[in-house]
Amino acid sequence: MMIQRVVRDLVTTKRVWGLQARKLRVVEDAKGNLDVAVDPVGAKVGDFVITIGYSAARIATGNPAVTTDLTIGGIIDDWSEDRWR
Amino acid sequence: MKIFQVEGTLVATARISQLENRRLLVVRERGGGRQVAVDPVGCKEGDWVIAVGSSAAKDAAGHKDYPSDLTIVGIIDYWDDTQPKAASPTVRATT
Repeated sequence: MMIQRVVRDLVTTKRVWGLQARKLRVVEDAKGNLDVAVDPVGAKVGDFVITIGYSAARIATGNPAVTTDLTIGGIIDDWSEDRWR
Repeated sequence: MKIFQVEGTLVATARISQLENRRLLVVRERGGGRQVAVDPVGCKEGDWVIAVGSSAAKDAAGHKDYPSDLTIVGIIDYWDDTQPKAASPTVRATT
């Protein structure tokens, strides 16, 4: 699992069936690299979150049929920019 | 999932049978290199898309035995490439 921060929401109207109607968020890591994660939690822009990757990401959505390789697992209560970078 | 921009279609007539007749696209990651992705969605050149890797790439391409390690799963409705850094809540020192 990784610590990442939510940058913005992402809207994709045209998508594969396997992604269902899952909420998507753009997240960045400590180096500023962007990724897209499925968000079953309801994270807001600026929240520090833990993300689960690879095939475990599919289990983390609650339905292994969802085609994702990155899922937000939780919002971190107390994390700061200084500890992160 | 990673964010890519579609560069164009890729034609490969001689291919392994498991790849079937799926559309292949050349995609480029933001500030990164080129990769080839399976396109079950129907993207145009220049579209910003999201693509999955891992085991989800196989399922998203059709079935769990499909030999793909990168599959496009959606077309981003609106993407301003300058926006992500500007949207960050804190200003970052340039490195």
